This record gives sequence, structure tokens and C-alpha cells, in this order.
Amino acid sequence: MSCAKFEPLIALYVERDLPESEARVVEMHLEACPDCREFAAEMRESQAALKSLRTDAVEESVLGELRAEVVSRLSIPRKTAAWPRYAVAAMLLVGLWAGWLWYTRPAASLEFRPRLVAIASPPMTPISAPPQRVHPARVRRHRARPAPAFRSEPLVVKIITDDPQVVIYWLVDQNGG
Amino acid sequence: MQELALLMDGGCLDARDEEFVSLVKQAKAGDTAAFDAIMIRFERQVLGTALRLLNRNLEDAKDAAQQVFLRLHRSLHQLDESRHFASWLYRITVNVCRDMQRVRARRPSLSLEEVDEVAAAAGEDVIQRNEQRRMIYAALATLPERERTAVVLRDLEGLSTSEVARIMGCAEVTVRSQISNARVKIRKFVIRQQRRPR
Repeated sequence: MSCAKFEPLIALYVERDLPESEARVVEMHLEACPDCREFAAEMRESQAALKSLRTDAVEESVLGELRAEVVSRLSIPRKTAAWPRYAVAAMLLVGLWAGWLWYTRPAASLEFRPRLVAIASPPMTPISAPPQRVHPARVRRHRARPAPAFRSEPLVVKIITDDPQVVIYWLVDQNGG
Repeated sequence: MQELALLMDGGCLDARDEEFVSLVKQAKAGDTAAFDAIMIRFERQVLGTALRLLNRNLEDAKDAAQQVFLRLHRSLHQLDESRHFASWLYRITVNVCRDMQRVRARRPSLSLEEVDEVAAAAGEDVIQRNEQRRMIYAALATLPERERTAVVLRDLEGLSTSEVARIMGCAEVTVRSQISNARVKIRKFVIRQQRRPR
């Protein structure tokens, strides 16, 4: 393995980020390679400089400002976010009220109990067929005569419900039309 | 060092901490004082990480930290007290910072050459005052977003590689490669800066 390939491994080795087996390989290479030993020393130096930033402190006043800003921003959405909840609650109440109204309607109007009170049907009168002339000389042939057609007014069925305002008229065409 | 101790406390805090679990329950019930206490406990972790991920831009970091805590507040009801809260918060912080960098693109990562120019123009007094810190922040600014996140979480926040992998949502081997690349680039940057003629 060339030195260039060891560099990324050394970068991990100096902070003990390598598994033991790989660390041993790097150690063996470092013992034999002065250039990589120098690289490792520089790497430790730059890592120490990097880690020195850990002690960088954030000023207390900045933290106070941050907290105050978060609290103020939390209070604004709370006010604006309340109205959808009120709207949903109002809709639920209206729904409940409507349901209650519907449920407590008078029982008569809820049930459909029709009573047949009258059937008005004019008497059916068969339409008289035209008189047939009889010719005695001719052989009589029996033909199937069509059933007499009835022409009548439609049957009217009046159905009265318990609700006096609701009356149902049912027109029945007796000719099957 | 006290700051570091506080920061490490926050980072290693386990959600199984009874007091913390109780705080979360109270905050879920709408107790603003409890939510305030949670913020106090984690604000250094969140703001510190955001600062490092956002190239030391304090305004951006404050914006990011605010968003993190607002998200936390919104997610309180679905928060499982038994999970690792600190890791979860790191993940939110990383995501918010990544989104901010992508959307704003106000301070894109600098190339090594650009940073050289910035460092040269900064003036002798600034360089002398805090040369090392400045150099390392400049080096971090040159890194691609994923590498910077990995190295900040591992080397500055002190998390393990497996924790970093969980937070970043990728394999441990990928994180190790990102950390390695970042360290090599930082070292190269430091060496270049040290060898620059003054």
C-alpha cells in the first residue's frame, strides 16, 4: 500500500477511529515510514487546533435573546392557531344541534304509514264490437276473437298519511301503460 | 472549560434522565416554564452546533436555533421520552442548518484560494489576536457540507462515529470517510497557512 493510501487511515488513526486490526496495520507502516510519521504529527497538530474550538463559549446575553425570541414566536402562533379549533368545535356543536332536532321530530312525520282511504275507479264499460252480418251461405269460420278492449279512466289511489299535509295520489293506468 | 463542561453535559444527556422526562411531560401538558427549562438545558448545544455549521455567522445561527426550538415545541406531543433526546436535537439542528445553507446560500463555502485572500486582507492585528481559531474556522468553511457536519459532530461536539452516522442518517463507514477527508483537508489548510510568507 502506498503512502497516499495511508493518509486517510492515519487521519482516523490519530483520533482512535480505526478498528483495531486496521490500526495495527497503520502502526506497522508508521514505524517503517518517516514521511507518514511526519504526516501523523501534523495531523495531530491540526486536530489539536480544531478541538481548541470546543471551548468557544456562547455569550449568556445571546442565549437570553434566543430564548426570548423563541417564547415570543411561540405565543403568536398560539393566538392565530386557536381559531381553527374554535371553528371545528362550532361545526361540531351545529352538527349535534341539527342531529338532535332531526332525532326529536314528531314521530308521525318520521314514519310513513299510509292508509288506503279511497279508490276511485269509474266502471269499466266494454267497447261494443260492430254488429256482424251473418251470411248463412258462407261457411262459418271460428276465429279467435280478440278480447274486448277496455278503455277506462286511470285508477286513482289516494293515500293519506298521518301528516294531514301529506296526501299521496297514485294514478294507475289500467291498460298497463 | 466551564462552557465546555456545560456543552458536553448537554451533548451526553440521556433522555432517560428522570428529571428530563418529567420536564418533557410537563411541557407536553402546556407548561411553558418546563419548555423554558428544556431550552436552557440544550440552548448551548443547539446554538454552538449551528454556529460551527454556519461558518460562525451568529445571526444565521440564532435563526437556526430558533427554528430548532420551534420545531421541538411543535413535535413535543409526538416526542418519545425514552429515546435519545440530545441525538434527536442534533439531527434537527443539522437539518435546519443544511436547509438554511441551501435556501439562503448567503455564505457559500469558500475555496482554499478565496480563504487565502480573506486571511491576507484581515489585517495583522486580527490575525495575531486569534490566528489559530480564525484559521480553523476558515478551514471548516472550505469543506463540503457533509464533511463539515461530520467533523463538527465528531471532533467538536465529541460524539462517537456511530452517533454521527445516526444523526446524519448514513452508514458509519460513510461518516468515517467524510471525517477522514475533512481532517486531511484541514491539516492541508493549516500547513498552507503556517507556511505562508508573512
